[in-house]
Amino acid sequence: MIGQLLSSSTAALGSVLGLLAQVPTGQVQQVPADSLHPSWCPAWAFWILSGLTIAGALVTITRRNLIGAVMALVATFFGLAGIYAMLSAHFLAAIQILVYAGAIMVLFVFVIMVLNREEEDPWALRSPFAKALGTGALVYLLVRLGEVIIGGNPPPMARGGNPPTDFGSVAAMGDYFFTKFLFPFEAVSILLVIAVIGAVVLARTSVKPTSVHDLPYADQPHGPQKTISATEAEAESPAAHGGH
Amino acid sequence: MDQLAVSVTSIGLSHFLVLGVIMLGIGVVGVFLRRNVLITLMSIELMLNAGNLTLLAFARAQHDMRGQALAFLVIAVAAAEAAIGLAIVVGVFRNRRNTDLDDLNLLRY
Amino acid sequence: MSVTESFPLYLIVLLPFLGAALNLLFGRRMSNGLVSLIACGSVAGAALVATKAVWILAHDLGVKGALTDQLFKGDWITAGDLHIAAGLALDRLSAIMVLVVTWIALLIHIYATGYMEHEADYSRFFGYLNLFTGSMLILILGDSFPVTFVGWEGVGLCSYLLIGFWYSEDKNATAGRKAFIVNRIGDFGFLLGMCLLYTAIGTLKYSELSSHLMQLRMPLWQGWPTAYWVALLIFVGCAGKSAQIPLYVWLPDAMAGPTPVSALIHAATMVTAGVYVVARTHVIFDITPSAAQMTVAGIGAVTALMAATIGIVQKDFKRVLAYSTVSQLGFMFVGVGTGAYVAGIFHLMTHAFFKAGLFLGAGSVMHAMGGEGDITKMGGLGKHMPITRWTFFVYCLAIAGIVPFAGFFSKDAILAGAFASHFEMAPTASAFQQHMIEWYPKLLWGILALAALCTAFYMWRLYFTVFTGRFRGTPEQEHHLHESPSEMTIPLIVLAAGALLAGLIGVPEIMVHGLPESVEHVLTFFNSWLVPSVLPASPEPHEHAVEWGLMAAATLISLGGIGLAAALYRGGISRTAESAKEKLKPVYNLLFNKYYVDEFYDLIIVRPLRVLAKVLWKAADAVVVDGGLTKVGPAIVGFVAGLTRRIQSGDVQRYLVAVVVGTAGILFVSTYWLPYAGVQGEVAKQGRKVTLDLSRGRVPDGRLVYQIDWDGDGKYEIVNTRFTKGHVHEYQNPGTYKIVVEARDPQWGVVKHSNDFFGARVPMTVTVE
Repeated sequence: MIGQLLSSSTAALGSVLGLLAQVPTGQVQQVPADSLHPSWCPAWAFWILSGLTIAGALVTITRRNLIGAVMALVATFFGLAGIYAMLSAHFLAAIQILVYAGAIMVLFVFVIMVLNREEEDPWALRSPFAKALGTGALVYLLVRLGEVIIGGNPPPMARGGNPPTDFGSVAAMGDYFFTKFLFPFEAVSILLVIAVIGAVVLARTSVKPTSVHDLPYADQPHGPQKTISATEAEAESPAAHGGH
Repeated sequence: MDQLAVSVTSIGLSHFLVLGVIMLGIGVVGVFLRRNVLITLMSIELMLNAGNLTLLAFARAQHDMRGQALAFLVIAVAAAEAAIGLAIVVGVFRNRRNTDLDDLNLLRY
Repeated sequence: MSVTESFPLYLIVLLPFLGAALNLLFGRRMSNGLVSLIACGSVAGAALVATKAVWILAHDLGVKGALTDQLFKGDWITAGDLHIAAGLALDRLSAIMVLVVTWIALLIHIYATGYMEHEADYSRFFGYLNLFTGSMLILILGDSFPVTFVGWEGVGLCSYLLIGFWYSEDKNATAGRKAFIVNRIGDFGFLLGMCLLYTAIGTLKYSELSSHLMQLRMPLWQGWPTAYWVALLIFVGCAGKSAQIPLYVWLPDAMAGPTPVSALIHAATMVTAGVYVVARTHVIFDITPSAAQMTVAGIGAVTALMAATIGIVQKDFKRVLAYSTVSQLGFMFVGVGTGAYVAGIFHLMTHAFFKAGLFLGAGSVMHAMGGEGDITKMGGLGKHMPITRWTFFVYCLAIAGIVPFAGFFSKDAILAGAFASHFEMAPTASAFQQHMIEWYPKLLWGILALAALCTAFYMWRLYFTVFTGRFRGTPEQEHHLHESPSEMTIPLIVLAAGALLAGLIGVPEIMVHGLPESVEHVLTFFNSWLVPSVLPASPEPHEHAVEWGLMAAATLISLGGIGLAAALYRGGISRTAESAKEKLKPVYNLLFNKYYVDEFYDLIIVRPLRVLAKVLWKAADAVVVDGGLTKVGPAIVGFVAGLTRRIQSGDVQRYLVAVVVGTAGILFVSTYWLPYAGVQGEVAKQGRKVTLDLSRGRVPDGRLVYQIDWDGDGKYEIVNTRFTKGHVHEYQNPGTYKIVVEARDPQWGVVKHSNDFFGARVPMTVTVE
């Protein structure tokens, strides 16, 4: 249910973002010199988007239902995409939705379908020592974070003024990728090929399926059976299915 | 209490950095907390995104496109890593019949 | 003074070493023929160079002349004031030795090519043999004690290597070890003597000994002069090398080695090194004649007799010869001990000929007998091996001392010298001692005469038993009997010629009176070659009658011994001999078991050492070293590893916890800890003066920038200081003040106040009256 809520709110937000993305229209507001957001984007958009992001993240890690967790993560990604847009990384915002929310999460969904098991006890780290240590370290980090928020340290470096108008556009990215970052670009493409091949190799069965029961289908909660002869498989399957 | 260094109306670099840190923290907690390996992988994606956010924030602050280029590469690599990771998960857990990280302790002394 | 000339003497030493190197390194791949060519060729080369050198010495240089050379330029040893060069010198004394050694070594090398024909380790044998020859030559040619010592040790080593040549058999390896260890004891004495000599006179060259006689005469200990102790210590070394009491026990066991080894090392060369060294350093011995020489002569005589008596009853062919060698060495030591250095060296030379021949003949016999060495199983070999038989006959005549064979003249010279020698006691000695000292030379002569009798007896016993009578061995052995090949018989013949003729250059004066000048010159060549240039004249009996009488007595004794042997053993072991053995059973046993000396040494030396070694092994080594040292380390490592191993739980999530904790830690230390730690301070109060010390936090000086507010009013009195110590403030008014310190890390820009939430642990307040 929460997943559905999130999904619908995400859709709403998406439309809002689309509105916002129509650049020259919308009033130009005064922004302080060292602020980052583009002049066409109101400040409260940041708070909403970040709230969405954080809520989605929290839900992801606490849901027992895996599909719910995946959906929450999708919501997180949408929020992040909005934030990227705020940061004048338009191209990346689109890529974030296409690749992350669109491809990677779909992959996760597939795998969850394959291995659909809920765990009995979802919470790990039973050792109190490790829990204490981890919690302590996190609390410490959060406290330091709080210091940064509350304390008066000098702000991190930022250049004033607006960036060039094609900052974050496809043209600028292309310019980089086909001149200065050409090698990483090609290397990453090779990496992707390797990843694809690797995924196929790793995930395939090593046993040739001789019967339908060897295939890893979701309706078989016990996983694939051992390789047994066809006749035995025939004899066993009604029993297995009957008991199921 | 001193004045908040993070203002509500003027979104500065610090805001984005703090958001990144929070997301990172949530990702770390997610890896700690859950035994299901898929949740672990998702938390790792969260952490990667936090990193991306930081990169982009600084890129914007410094008016330097290289941050965005690097973030793009990070997304590509994260995709590859997710694919491989899931393939491994599928392969390993096919026979184990459960997705429990606690059982993966063969590297124990 | 002496004239010296330079000559490439190093060749004499180098060639055999070169041969050794080639044979040892590459011999495996070479054919037997090539190996023997290299081996014999290198020794032949050395012999030729040596002959040339002696020729030059004889013709171009005067009586005291010497040829000198250095093995390599510059000093060999430099330590403080000590400078020793690796020098070689060839004077008249070493000329004789060099010629004897090189030519006899050549003959034995040639013999060995035949004897060791079927040996698998052919090249190793010849390599060692060459190595030995080279070392012996270094010993002889060395011009100072250290160089001689190098050769000394080298021959000891080669002796070990060659005795234990067939090391796969335990007995041989044990014999080699025994030889080396007993030798080592002697070497230790030699070394001590060298050190003592150096501390006394500051030089170790032979040529400089005679110029330091004054220092050597100084009393050292117990009233004896330095020279006596040096001589004694050096004699210990010679006793070890030349098998005298008490260090002779290795020589009979050394017969386990191949026969050419016995011939070369234990007959002709190595064992004579001791005699040579005594002759070389005679000036030291001459300083205290009555002490040093008496000791040397006395030990030599007793050894001669003892070994001769043991040799009478031995059954192993080579063992008889071994004891014979010990006995003859005793003769030589009596020679050099009584001041008859020439006689000793002469006997050394003649002995080399016939003893080497005896051993080679033994080898020939054993070769025919298929390795059998027991003479009770031999007999009648004369008709199968004529050359061996008749050369053996010549050697036996020589060693028994029959005119005109070599042994006669040399032995006679020694006996005459012993009889005529003269010792003196210090005037403070008692009358009894004075009386004794007069009889001492006669006593020496008597002992030697007895030993000569035994010598003749056992040698001819050997001859008759082996070569006459019926064969007492197995039929298969009888079929196998044959004369040896020419590589083996030709050296026998050459040595027989030497045994016959070598004596003829040392004929005593009284026998050549009436002969023409040139003949006389030739016949007494040996004496005139050495005396008085290198060695002092031997003592001689004053009256000619005594001298003729002594000669006659010696001949009679020898003939008597031969006759007795013939009576008992001619045509085989007679029944008389057997019954004599039965009747004198206890005496026989005593002699056969070598006076139980080996057993005695075993009891008092070997066994305690073994016990000690075992204790050290079990207790010190096993418990302390193994348990303590070698096990402590792994135990500690194991313990610590056991503790730290548990970090690796295999649980990925735990690892991530570790990562996060580590990150937090790094963050803390690098940005927070420094200023935090730097705010910890100590306050010391003196009246109204307060001293603030900020160095407690283990932050190094100068890392942080401090601002100090002494009275808590918000205004910093001390601003931007990097000092942690020495902040003093005098308060004007009494009251309680709160000191606020701000620490800033300039590198990270992190600031800490002492009254922050995470600030100083101890609030710094000070109350002032």
